[in-house]
Amino acid sequence: MKFQNSFKFLFFLFFSCNAFASDNIGEQVKKLTLELRCMTCQNQSVYDSDSDYAKDIKKLVEEKFNEGLEEKEIKDFLTERYGEYILFRPYFSSKNLLLWLFPFILIIASMLIFIKNVKKK
Amino acid sequence: MISLIGFFSLCLSTIFCIIVLIPYSILKINIKYLLFIFRSSTFLVCISFVSLIFAYVTSDFSNFNVFQNSHSDKPLIYKITGSWGNHEGSILLWVCMISIYGFLYSIFSKSLNNFKITVLKIQSALFLIFAFFIIFTSNPFLVNSVLVEEGLGLNPILQDPALAIHPPMLYLGYVGFSLVFSLAIASLLKKNSHQIWIIEIRKWSMISWGFLTAGIALGSYWAYYELGWGGWWFWDPVENISLMPWIAGLALVHSLLMIRGEQAIEKWIVFLAILCFSLCILGTFLVRSGILTSVHSFASDASRGLFILLIFFVTTGFGFLVFLIKSPSKKNDLHLLLINKTSALIINNILMIIAVLTILLGTIYPIIVEVLTNTRVSVGGPYFNSTVLPILLPGFLLMSIAPALSWQTNKIKKFKLYVMCFLILSAVVLLQSYLTDFNPWGFIGLILGLWIIFASILSIVLRYKFSITIKYIKTINSFIAHIGVGVMIIGITVSSIYQKEFNFNITVGEEVIIDNEILKFKEIKLIDEKNYQSLRAVFSLEKKDTILSYIEAGKNYYPVSKTITTEAGIYHDWFKDVYITLGSENNNVWFIRVYLNPLVSFIWIGVIIMLFSSIIAVIKK
Repeated sequence: MKFQNSFKFLFFLFFSCNAFASDNIGEQVKKLTLELRCMTCQNQSVYDSDSDYAKDIKKLVEEKFNEGLEEKEIKDFLTERYGEYILFRPYFSSKNLLLWLFPFILIIASMLIFIKNVKKK
Repeated sequence: MISLIGFFSLCLSTIFCIIVLIPYSILKINIKYLLFIFRSSTFLVCISFVSLIFAYVTSDFSNFNVFQNSHSDKPLIYKITGSWGNHEGSILLWVCMISIYGFLYSIFSKSLNNFKITVLKIQSALFLIFAFFIIFTSNPFLVNSVLVEEGLGLNPILQDPALAIHPPMLYLGYVGFSLVFSLAIASLLKKNSHQIWIIEIRKWSMISWGFLTAGIALGSYWAYYELGWGGWWFWDPVENISLMPWIAGLALVHSLLMIRGEQAIEKWIVFLAILCFSLCILGTFLVRSGILTSVHSFASDASRGLFILLIFFVTTGFGFLVFLIKSPSKKNDLHLLLINKTSALIINNILMIIAVLTILLGTIYPIIVEVLTNTRVSVGGPYFNSTVLPILLPGFLLMSIAPALSWQTNKIKKFKLYVMCFLILSAVVLLQSYLTDFNPWGFIGLILGLWIIFASILSIVLRYKFSITIKYIKTINSFIAHIGVGVMIIGITVSSIYQKEFNFNITVGEEVIIDNEILKFKEIKLIDEKNYQSLRAVFSLEKKDTILSYIEAGKNYYPVSKTITTEAGIYHDWFKDVYITLGSENNNVWFIRVYLNPLVSFIWIGVIIMLFSSIIAVIKK
């Protein structure tokens, strides 16, 4: 009984945390610019950088959010302009399938092999 | 003159190494003399390196390398460290260390002579390859063709105490794996040899791993205060490259534990040993060929890149070829149960290797894509965070109880107590994160970190009688190491998730409020140091009218290379760091960025605990 309650509590928390996600534009800008490469710096994100390029992008992203665009749309806009190089997190697309699926295929395969070996005993 | 001595002794030591490599059937030398020749070669290469340092200290600009990387105005310490702050010098250091590791092995090893000589021969072969690399592509003893009075200076961001010892530490780690590699190959070539090699490989891999840990930690501590980005790990390609052999080495160290359960899986150990050193060389290739741009690339040169690629293929190819042909045929009867110590160790090894492969793919993926499709992509922090961390999660969970598991059965003593503790702990953490700001990753990280610490302490208390002796520390060593990891996980989680950031435009005399403290902008200082100009904004951090500390954030200007470096001002507390970077100025209004980094100190404390336990593991019988 006790356990059930605490599980319910846990589930509630996990699913409600989406509702807590702030609608604040500043937060959204931060989240997105952290995933963008500052093209004029060395491996630094747009958010962390103080270069002119980064400032422009930050302003641009903020404007786009204010216009009501979604994160995905802004990303598309930016990649069209600067290429996919700007994204620190490459798209989950057919082209990048290897990159994204590789670790999980490895995990699943090794898990299967492991379980098979345990059962044998 | 001194350069000539350096070059001459390098060549001589190379020749000595060639003599060591001549098969016994052709040149019949007594083992005593063979050891003598090997050790003289070490001695000579050390002379070579010392003479390079000497050239730097005396600012001998007739040496082209000194001319390019040094300046007579530099403080003495950076003259010394400047000798490995460049490509040529650092490779000479690398070669020197290969030889020194061989030397130490030849002294401390208790193996049979036959086996010992095989190890030293492989070590000599590695030495030879890198020595040729120096002599033909990266000679630090070239003569400067023009007569000059002054050098070009060392890259200013390398003029820093942490970075001064970072390369030697890292190299001691990387190169240490060369000896591990030699031991593994020798064990394949000399079948039926004594099992001593496993014990030796354990010692040496532990030593190398310890140095690698220290080197990486120093590097990331440097990144923390020198780059001024508020973080300490950026998933930079060069960081990833050092992380790969580190994780592989960790897997190796763990798999070597299985000897105690008398279930040594030789094949796997040998494989990991070869893999570790291969990753080290691959890393060197990626960094030094200039394929990746970073602080570490120095002047890149295509011919060097090709040469290192060749070295990589020769050593790795040779290693894995020997592994395939002569792999240990002994059938391993692993005692796998769900879940006993053996299977916990195996799962941990698998997860670590998958993490290594993922990091490897992520790091070289942009190169592959660029070669194949001629478009550029980035794979950065967000990718690694969302792949590598979930892969390692179950490993962390397992780690909390793994040392307490038994080899033979899948029963844990007082299992219920563990479960109870885990549930109570989860409830407390849940309550805490619910009352503050609920964040799934923060929640998971905190639970994991706390649970690892808690379960380790619980196991120590339940299993061993407390006493203050070295023997006691030796028996609980694995728990200590895991507590270190737990502390580090808490530090990483809290500092990255609950980091707060403030931006201010501020003039001298103004004050701002940061959480509970007041930050006062006292003054701007401009000081001429020996080889740079420093600009410092002095802040005082006050709490209830008592000054906690003064913080100086600013920039350095190096006239020789005309570069500016940021110097973050940090106030360290056990529980939080106040981290200030100084931005640009406009009409006496300064832009400053202040980060409140909670629990960063836990990361370094965790690393120190891990290092302590690796030292204990080395001295342990």
